[in-house]
Amino acid sequence: MNLNIRPVFSALLRNRTGAILVAMQIAIALAVLVNAVYIVKQRVDRIGRPTGMDVENIFAISSSGFAQGYDHRATLRDDLAYLRSVPGVVDAVATTSVPLSGGGNGSFLSPRPGGMHSGFTAQQGDGNYFEIDEHGLQTLGVRLIAGRNFRPDEIAPAPLSLAHTEFAPSVIITQAYARYLFPDGNPLGRTVYDYLSRPARIIGIIDHMHGAWPTVDHPDRVYFLPRMAYGPRATYLVRTEPGELNRVMAQVEQHMGTSNSDRVINWVRTLSSFKADTYMSDRNMGTFLVTVTSLLLAIASLGIFGLATFNVNTRTKQIGTRRAVGARRRDIVAYFMVENWLITTAGIVVGCAMALGVGYWLSHQYAMPRLDLYFLVGGVLGLWGLGLLAAWQPARRAATISPAVATRTV
Amino acid sequence: MLGYYLRLALLSFRRNPGLTALMVVAIGVGIGVCVVSLTVFHTMSGNPIWWKSDRLFAVTMDSWDANIPADPERPQLPPDQLTYRDATYLHRSGIPQRSVIMYRSGGVVSVPGGADPRPRPATARVTTRDFFAMFEVPFKYGGTWNTAADESLEPVIVLTDPMNQKLFGGENSVGRTLRWNDREFRVIGVTAPWEARPRYYDLNNGHFDPPEDVFIPWGAAIALDLDSAGSTNCWKSEDLSTREAFLNSECVWIQMWVELPDAESRARMQSYMDAYWAQQRAGGRFPRPRNNRLTNVDQWLVDQRVVSNDNRVLVGLAFAFLAVCLINTVGLLLAKFLNAAPIAGIRRALGASRRALFAQHFIEVGVVAAAGALLGLGLGALGLYAVRILYTSENPNRAGYEALGHFDVVSILWAAALAVIAAVAAGLYPAWRIGRVEPAVYLKNQ
Repeated sequence: MNLNIRPVFSALLRNRTGAILVAMQIAIALAVLVNAVYIVKQRVDRIGRPTGMDVENIFAISSSGFAQGYDHRATLRDDLAYLRSVPGVVDAVATTSVPLSGGGNGSFLSPRPGGMHSGFTAQQGDGNYFEIDEHGLQTLGVRLIAGRNFRPDEIAPAPLSLAHTEFAPSVIITQAYARYLFPDGNPLGRTVYDYLSRPARIIGIIDHMHGAWPTVDHPDRVYFLPRMAYGPRATYLVRTEPGELNRVMAQVEQHMGTSNSDRVINWVRTLSSFKADTYMSDRNMGTFLVTVTSLLLAIASLGIFGLATFNVNTRTKQIGTRRAVGARRRDIVAYFMVENWLITTAGIVVGCAMALGVGYWLSHQYAMPRLDLYFLVGGVLGLWGLGLLAAWQPARRAATISPAVATRTV
Repeated sequence: MLGYYLRLALLSFRRNPGLTALMVVAIGVGIGVCVVSLTVFHTMSGNPIWWKSDRLFAVTMDSWDANIPADPERPQLPPDQLTYRDATYLHRSGIPQRSVIMYRSGGVVSVPGGADPRPRPATARVTTRDFFAMFEVPFKYGGTWNTAADESLEPVIVLTDPMNQKLFGGENSVGRTLRWNDREFRVIGVTAPWEARPRYYDLNNGHFDPPEDVFIPWGAAIALDLDSAGSTNCWKSEDLSTREAFLNSECVWIQMWVELPDAESRARMQSYMDAYWAQQRAGGRFPRPRNNRLTNVDQWLVDQRVVSNDNRVLVGLAFAFLAVCLINTVGLLLAKFLNAAPIAGIRRALGASRRALFAQHFIEVGVVAAAGALLGLGLGALGLYAVRILYTSENPNRAGYEALGHFDVVSILWAAALAVIAAVAAGLYPAWRIGRVEPAVYLKNQ
């Protein structure tokens, strides 16, 4: 097939406006497409990061003691005994806050004594702690990779006055936090210090876990203290056998709603729902971007299609003439495809510059990561394909124009 | 003449119904997407008390660590809350017309002997008596507490309208008693339905969360040790093991707002804060450079990043989208008009001026844009409904986020404005172009 670009090009130059309009649409579409897909990919990656926990099979239940005679320690003991006895429950634990919920407790650890003046710089999100007993790791579904779990005799009872009274003698921490605190070697058995320089020994290391604030820079700097949580609020995490979550949740809510009249149940929610709330804005951003970008591509395709159709309609007689003097059908198809390809390519060239500009502006203004060039290549190929696809039908229709048209007037 | 042009427009639509529908859809979808993103943006960036912008101020002081700022990303900002000692000291200055210190708390409420005596969890705002006047919270029944209740234990409570509905079936409950954390409180007021979007007065727990269920006087809350259920941030290595130690600590957990009606009172308040800062610094506190701020609501919303970057990006995206829709429409209009150029040529030959042709075609565009705007409004309403669904959460305290997707007058105004922009942007060039056809060409050809 002989793709004769010169005549197509000079014909285009004589009829610029429509072509320019389509090229502009292609340019904007490319700039939006590339950056939108790039942003969506980051969000999807973020939401899909492993949490280290058995998220799908865990729910949380929160209660508040309010009566004058409320006994926090007895409540914890009775509730945990009940929860661990429910059929379908793998394990249960009382803790300070719910992982992935956006609300939790943080207190940094330091590899040296001296508190804030230890010369050790803690950052936002460092040292998110959970108070648990020996059932905690099993309930969360996190994996111990070194050292040991807490022993029952290590667990401190719930403080009767304010929390933070005593630091624990031993802690279990995530691998990520351990590496950050002790970049130079094996952290197991090393001593860490709290903000008042009180020491604790690292007795166990878990593989990975996201703490209460998944959106901070280092959500995996988490540690566990062997202590029952301070009252009068009690938050329990319950892990169930797969498929048993809803049944167990309903049963537990019913029982605990009436088992102790000195407290009320604040809420019962799945861990998945906390995760969904935390990533709500990421998810919605992704949904918006995908929706609007798809609409934009659809409109741009319609534009290409519309222009090609218009060109075919206004050139019926010329096409007939060309056919009459010997052009084959595929020459006509080729003509329109080449014309469209030229327009699309012009749009793509401008669009590349715009995409890079928008990408730079986003990273500069809104601290988003710099646009990955692979996405630009993908966008260019995609729009080329889309342009050819949208022009295909009008070009085919042009090829069906009969040579006899040339002999008619109008 | 207008009627005649409208008739011509209608004829023209009938000639190319498909093309006309395509234009209406292009404009409609473009406007719809813009209406959704602008409405959400408007709700997010709105100042719900704009008429007090020159007199309402958040009070902050930089009490943080010498080396590490409260927000390492923006070291110039002080922490957004105050310590207990600073808040209670500044609250006593007597300079502002109104002064409010407050925090979020939670507890359990019940009405023994009421229709539904079951205890239930509730959220509370611990605050001082001027809260309602300062933030313009209307009362349905009763009113706020007296000054003494800010200082000492007076077991009185103000309910929000929804809470009053739950506890007392919505009737005038002033004078009735209820139990808060198993302690008797007397209802002295019920607020009328009220909501601040965004919740500028305390942005710590969700920017669009609904107000707390009840209001408890400062004096009672402090006397009864009601814990904060909001955000507490500490930086100093100090003992926090007793309530006393905590109240005296460098932990920030209290929001403070003042109403300063004129420049003179603002200056006095600022120098009061600066003097207090200097005196405390001499005593070893405030290791950072002086950074005592009175921030108005507009600036406060910016500092607290209520409008997320995502939303700005989405507004930009919506306009890029509208641009593509309009460029598309320009192309379609051109095609349509030039297709009918012979008719225009005849009209010109019969004596119609260029201006008349322009007017005729522009009116045609106007009708398309108006139809597009109507379609856009419909699509916008649909889109906002989808936004509400996307923001639905299982957490009852986050219910306010759904309010982002509210279709209101602003949406309609936006749609109308965008329709005008669309008509001008898309129609100007094609209408001008058709006015310039040479009648002779078409006469000859026929």
